[in-house]
Amino acid sequence: MRPGIGDLTEPRQPKGTEPSEAELIERAKLGDAEAFQGLYDKHKRRVYSLCLRMTANTAEAEDLAQEAFLQLYRKIATFRGESAFSTWLHRLSVNVVLMHLRKKSLPVVSLEETTQGTEEDSPKRDFGADDVALAGSIDRMQLQRAVESLPPGYRMIFVLHDIEGYEHNEIAKIAGCSIGNSKSQLHKARMKLRDLLKMNRAEEAGKTRAG
Amino acid sequence: MANKRAAKLVAIGVIVAGTLVAESRKEYHFAVGPRAGVSVMNPYGSIWVKPSLNNTVVVNAVLHSDKVEVDNSQNGNRVDIQSHLLAGADSDSGRVDYEVLVPADASITLHSSTGSLRAEKLHGDVSLEGAGAEVDVRDVSDAHVHVKTMNGPVNLDNIQNGHVEVDSLSGEVTMRGVNGPLVQVVSTSGKINYIGDFGNSGEYRLTSHSGDIEATIPEWTSADVSARSVRGEVHDDIPLQPKNHTWFPVDKGRAFAGTMGRVAVSSTVVLRTFSGKIHLRKRSENK
Amino acid sequence: MNCVELQQSLAEVEDGSSLEQRAHLRACPACSALVNELNLIVAAAGELQAAEEPSPRVWNSIEFALRQEGLIRPQRPLVPSFSARWGAARWLVPMAAMLLLALGIYVRRESLPNQMAQQASVAVPAANSSDLNDADLMQEVVDNEPAMKTQYAENLRQVNESIRDAQGVVDESPNDEDARRSLMDAYQQKSMLFQMAMDRSLP
Repeated sequence: MRPGIGDLTEPRQPKGTEPSEAELIERAKLGDAEAFQGLYDKHKRRVYSLCLRMTANTAEAEDLAQEAFLQLYRKIATFRGESAFSTWLHRLSVNVVLMHLRKKSLPVVSLEETTQGTEEDSPKRDFGADDVALAGSIDRMQLQRAVESLPPGYRMIFVLHDIEGYEHNEIAKIAGCSIGNSKSQLHKARMKLRDLLKMNRAEEAGKTRAG
Repeated sequence: MANKRAAKLVAIGVIVAGTLVAESRKEYHFAVGPRAGVSVMNPYGSIWVKPSLNNTVVVNAVLHSDKVEVDNSQNGNRVDIQSHLLAGADSDSGRVDYEVLVPADASITLHSSTGSLRAEKLHGDVSLEGAGAEVDVRDVSDAHVHVKTMNGPVNLDNIQNGHVEVDSLSGEVTMRGVNGPLVQVVSTSGKINYIGDFGNSGEYRLTSHSGDIEATIPEWTSADVSARSVRGEVHDDIPLQPKNHTWFPVDKGRAFAGTMGRVAVSSTVVLRTFSGKIHLRKRSENK
Repeated sequence: MNCVELQQSLAEVEDGSSLEQRAHLRACPACSALVNELNLIVAAAGELQAAEEPSPRVWNSIEFALRQEGLIRPQRPLVPSFSARWGAARWLVPMAAMLLLALGIYVRRESLPNQMAQQASVAVPAANSSDLNDADLMQEVVDNEPAMKTQYAENLRQVNESIRDAQGVVDESPNDEDARRSLMDAYQQKSMLFQMAMDRSLP
């Protein structure tokens, strides 16, 4: 089951004695340091993970997570609760990352990759690892590494759709591409990930045999 | 006479026993995941962080009196340790010495006013703030290393591919085998010693207002070097290819600028002082 | 529908649930395995959502910025046992000093390139303000860390000297990029001294 966009809080449930998010927001509006930190603690992993997946760079991800929280905190006095706080923070974080990628002139959706993809990622493509099945569960660390090695355009669509739970129409708006383009990029990203994971398993199997 | 000596011994014994009773040890264990965050805040006393063998954080604390307690908390992958001073605690009775084992990939934040800080064999981020005592970081790779100190000396040894930032008011800063994309030291009066190769195509910026700056590097170093002392002297033992353009007037004896080695893979090295001396030395090769 | 068409169709109907897809999948073990594997990837992707813990430095930087921008206002201590020694009110003086220092840096950075003629008048208030706060800083140290008094006094003297020296070079050579940077470094070192005295630069 894919997580929804609104479900942005940390995996652990708050204890009964901890203040609610609404309370933290109200206290943060009054300049309460603990409330700012409380909100940060609730959402830091999700925001930072998003930044890290999109950039595949720890230092950049830290800077972007910091920027996302700061932008949010600067506007917190205007928060009226019409939408979920987590949704607000999440959209803002995505915007911060996309702005950063655009500044770096990295393709948000790469046409080049799309073109290459028709050859490279055609159904007949074979990395020589096709006999390795991805049976059972997929190791999180391996998937993480594979996502990091995706080209930036594929990575962004995969992160937004499959990790963060955005729909294609939302991605199309965010990334400024067509819905069809978003769908086709996602499919290619998944196919590429499958290849990468299979290659990884084939290499490991080879090492085991050699060992 | 014998009675007096016996009385003295008893008195000493009472004092020693009292001290032993007051000193206590605590040990805490925390299970953490990859890339955990560990912070230790300790106003008085040393903190030494080393790698653990598995995904656990082990905290050994020696409390020097009952006027200090150790607060600890774990919030997911983050562990916070803090010396909690009780009423009447001072720099002696409030002292706690910590030895902390963390997974090598953990990020650590250490803070002590009077105790030494030491971190070794890690590849997570290291953030240390001291005041008067020594700060020592060694065998750290692929990490941010941030150090702040007032007058305690700072030793950085074998930091590979680091993002190193040191702020020292008057403590001497010594770096051996330190390289990475950014190595920056800012000091008011502390001496700065760099022994290494300015590698990794990084930016090396060493600045002290009145402290001397000495860099000892092999002749094969590839770097774009500029050095300037406003009121002090500069010495250069290594021939540099002169540059056509600099940001500042290159007064002989007060500044030099040039390149050495292969320009394509070179690092940028900026050495600045107001009244200190700058010396770029050639390292003798034993190989 | 052949294998190529099936795989192309997965971009539109991801889970292979259309009638045509299902018909092909029943007959083709290779494509069936492919769809299963893609579903496994999608299922595993959710686990990456909040998998990473940011370095403590991220919060440190956010907190510092919030304080500088005045979004955090002193109310009650963030870390009770540390800050209990420094009452909340004691924050006001050093924070004001830090803000003034930051303002001094900002004003200089903004004014130096374009308004060199105004430099002297800009510099004076910042210098005076920081002088006033030096006494407050030392009083805090005497009250709370008497053993560190000499060290703080000496470092404060040196950092003030470095500000004066750097200011002198900037005045002599307003276009000297190095000198301007040195002046900013000197102010930042002084700001660090204030932070240290307050035990507050780390949480």
